[in-house]
Order: sequence, then structure tokens, then C-alpha cells
Amino acid sequence: MNDYVDKRIERFETLLKEIWTASEKYLGTFSVKLLVERAVWDLSAEYREIELLQCDEGGISCAEIAASVKKNPNLPVDEMFTKFITKYVEILARLVGREKTDKIVKKLNEEFGGISFNL
Amino acid sequence: MDKLKTGIKNFDNILSGGIPVYSLNIISGSPGSGKTILVQNIIFNSARDGLKSLYLTTISESQFKMVRHLQEFEFFSDDFLGDKFIYGDLGAVLRKQGTEKVLAYLTEMIKKHQPNILVIDSFKAIRDIFPDEKTFKAFVFDLAAALSVWEVTVFLIGEYEEKELTQLSEFAIADGIFHLYGQGEKRFQKRYLRILKMRGTHFEQGEHLFQISSAGIEVYPRIKPEGKGLQYEVRSGRKGFGITELDEMLSGGLKEGTITLISGGTGTGKTALALKFLLDGAEKGEKGLVLSFEEPVVQLIDNVRSLGWELDKYLADGRLDIRFISPIELDVDKHAFEIMDMVGENRVDRLVIDSISSFESSVIDLQKYKDYLWALGQQLKRRHVTTIFTVLNEDLFSPVVVTKAQISLMTDNIIILRYVEDDSNVKKVLGILKARGTNHNKDFREYEITPNGINILGKLDRANMLR
Repeated sequence: MNDYVDKRIERFETLLKEIWTASEKYLGTFSVKLLVERAVWDLSAEYREIELLQCDEGGISCAEIAASVKKNPNLPVDEMFTKFITKYVEILARLVGREKTDKIVKKLNEEFGGISFNL
Repeated sequence: MDKLKTGIKNFDNILSGGIPVYSLNIISGSPGSGKTILVQNIIFNSARDGLKSLYLTTISESQFKMVRHLQEFEFFSDDFLGDKFIYGDLGAVLRKQGTEKVLAYLTEMIKKHQPNILVIDSFKAIRDIFPDEKTFKAFVFDLAAALSVWEVTVFLIGEYEEKELTQLSEFAIADGIFHLYGQGEKRFQKRYLRILKMRGTHFEQGEHLFQISSAGIEVYPRIKPEGKGLQYEVRSGRKGFGITELDEMLSGGLKEGTITLISGGTGTGKTALALKFLLDGAEKGEKGLVLSFEEPVVQLIDNVRSLGWELDKYLADGRLDIRFISPIELDVDKHAFEIMDMVGENRVDRLVIDSISSFESSVIDLQKYKDYLWALGQQLKRRHVTTIFTVLNEDLFSPVVVTKAQISLMTDNIIILRYVEDDSNVKKVLGILKARGTNHNKDFREYEITPNGINILGKLDRANMLR
């Protein structure tokens, strides 16, 4: 069970890194970091654990979330990450426009066929 | 792109609908130029649309004084304070915790109140606290990025001088720059605003007059003489005076949508002739408007009645409207805009401005006066309004000097009214100097103004009439 959750978190981490890279092209590292912080703050009222998402100029890491899940195996990981990514792309769409964000959403839907990231 | 509607009269028009949301805007100007009132007017109007504003002051006036001053304005409402209008003191943070805590404080305040609009008044005061330009520049860039992710529309107010607008780092990051300033004219202390930059939307460039009244800010957009104004459809219809001989001299009347100058000395009947033009239109069901800068409405109506013309029924049914604007209160920038407003709202077909000499005497800058008349003329042509400007020729016996400012160059038709001496008598003659696109009669015809109207008499054969 833990291995499965670890792999899911790992996969979300890969996805978040891709989003980070894609967004960085338009916004620069500093702004992407601020945007992640904004999305974390928006979601933290619902999932406190999202605050454990780490990001700095070097990129994004889910290591602390993975450690937390081991203590709290009931955390709905898929739901939390899906909501986080949806929130992130929603804010991004409002800030940079739907056209540019659509490319990211398209990539997300290709990578995560089972989850729909529609704006 | 979504826009924040300012709700300020005419301001949203010059911004193509409003200020782009999430933009960072600098409102600059010297003390007393109206910066704070402009922004407060916007945020109280926005509050009525359900938007919340966070207003952070630095070293400017206290909330107590601010609220006291705001109460003078109709846009103010106590109900919004503490709910849609959140006041915060950024100055205390700067003084106690230093500049490095400003970003964190702003972010915390935004998280706490989740405003749609953020105002920092005065931002220039923050600049003055920073030790050097380099550090401030870094702060400005971080601030712009930090505010943008919170989806707030930002107004940074500052007492900047015009020369600073191209030099200081905060202007590089701004999406919008609004500069407010004053300028003295003969009778008025005038306020102007210019939009120097506005990313993400089309805006009307140039200086726009604004005034501060108890209603708040009212903007009077500059009337443009260039661009689209030059393109208009020329119509072939003609509009007469209802004076057979004169209409014949004009091959049927003035061409529709043209500008005509009636120039003449005092007492030659410029106003009477122009009013006859409107009355003829009213009889045909067209709408006419007289803007009188010289004679009050009652006096004008009495004069018309003395010529045997019936105008009451047209005034009653709205086919004719007479407005008096005191030349003492005449403000060219404001009234040029209001004239177009009246013409548009009332769907005016025929317009008389009596006289443009009053315009001329209200401005210091003659070039500006010509620009405004040129722009006004173009706007009227675009709307196919057939217009008469009357102008006083101070040289009673000279027909050639039409106006001091050579306004004749921008008109399509010129009718002159002048006095001539004839056997120890003073007679009045009328001539058409110019009628664009018309094979007009070149004679000088004697005319008389009687209790039965204006009669055009025969050709007056006097040599040297144009000297």
C-alpha cells in the first residue's frame, strides 16, 4: 500500500516539476514560486499537508508530504494534488490568459489520462 | 481582458471600458492634483459593485482626516468602511520593522482580507525610506511579482514630478501610469490627466480635462482632431434657410453635414440668420440646437418673435432647443465635449454655435482654440450635423477678415454679412465667399431685417466692395 502511495506522490512530483518548467518559461522562477505559494495558501484551509510542499529557486519537492503520508495514510493524496494542480492552472489562466495555460492543461491530461484537469 | 470599471464619468470611455484587472498602476502628480480623490472615487464605486479594497497609507494623512474629507463627496458611504474599504497603516510597519518586512506585511494583509484592489498612498514615501536606488529597484520588482499572483488591481499613489516618470524604476514595472496636473488659464484653474501607459488596453492619448466636484471626479475627454475623425461620408442632401433667394444663391442650401461660418459685424443679423436656418429645419421635422454664448434664452426667443417667426411650438415639441452658456463660465475643453454629448443625445440635425468668438476669448492659447474647433467640426461632420458657427467681425466695413484665428480655413461654407455706405446710408449686404462643392452665386445682395423676417434684395453694384 505504502509503495503504491509513494509511487503516486512520485508521479505527482514529476508532474509538478513539468508544470514548474513550463510555467517558468512565461513567468520566471520568482513568479512561479510565488504562484505555488499562492495555490498552497488557497488550498491549505482544506488540506493542511499541502503546506509541506517545498519550493525554491531549484524547483519543487514533495518529500515532506511523502513523509507525512507515512504517519497519516488516510490522506487523500490524489484528491489533494489534483485540487492543487487545478487551482494552480486556474490562477495561471487568470493571470497569463487561457491560451497559454491551455498548453499546460493539455499536457496534464496527456500525462494523467485518468484525471481531468479542465479549466 | 477583464476590466475594472472605474465608474467615473467618461473615464472608462477613454480606457476602452476600464482598467485591466490585476494591473499595477501608478497615479502621479503634485500635492493637491487630485490623485487620492481619483483613486478613492474608483474604490468606492467598485465597492458598490461588490469589490473590496485594501487602502494602505504610509506617511500621509490619518484615517480620521481622510474619512472627514471623503464625507464631502457623494461617492462616499460609511457603510463600506471596514467591509469593502479596509484601511491599513503601512507607515507603522516601515518605521518599526523596516523595508524588508513590507512584502511580508502586504502578503499577510492580502491573505487576511483578500481584496480586489490594493492602494498604497503614498508609494513615493516608501522610495524615500530605501537607502539606495538599487535596493529600491529590487524591492519594486519583487513587489510587482508578489502582488500579481494575488489577483489584485494595484494603485500606487505618489507625488512624482513629470520628469521623474521616465527615470524612476517603479515606472518600468507599472502597467498603467496616470499623471495628474494643473494648468492655469484666464479664468480657471484647470486640472488635466494624461494616461502615459496602459498595457493590455487601448486608451485615448493626450490631456483630458477633469474636475473635482461634490460628485467626485468628472473627466472631459480630449476631442481628437486626427485619425478616424478625418473619415466621414459626404452626403448629397441640402439644407436650406427657408429664404428663397438665399437658398437659390446656395444652389438649394447648405450641403448636409458641412460647417458654415456666418461672419459679420455687430447688428448685421448673424444670429437671426442662423436661427432661421434652424426654424426651417424644424418645419421639416429636423432637430435643431442653438448654443448661445452671448444672449440668454429669453432674450433670444424675444428677438426671434420680433421677426415674426413662430418658434414656441418647436421648443415645446423638442424640435428646437436653445441653451445658454455664460461666456464667463465657458471652458472650452469641457464644453467642446458637452456639445458633442448634447448633439448625440438629442440626435441633432442642425446646430448653431453663437458665437465662436466667445470660445476665442476664453483661451489664452490661440492654437489650442483652433485645434478644438477643428476637432469639434470633424466630430460634427462625422455625425452629419449641418452646423453654423457665427463669428463677430470687429471691422464693420471689411468683409475679408473673417476671423482672427483663420477659422475660415476649416469651414466648408462662408457667408459674410457686412455694412456698406451708399449715398450717406448704411446698408447691409450678404455674400457667399465660399460654398464647397457648390456653384454658388457670387453676387453681393442687399438684405433687410424686418418684423416679417429677412428679405434678400437686389444685387448691390458698388465698386471696390472687397477692399
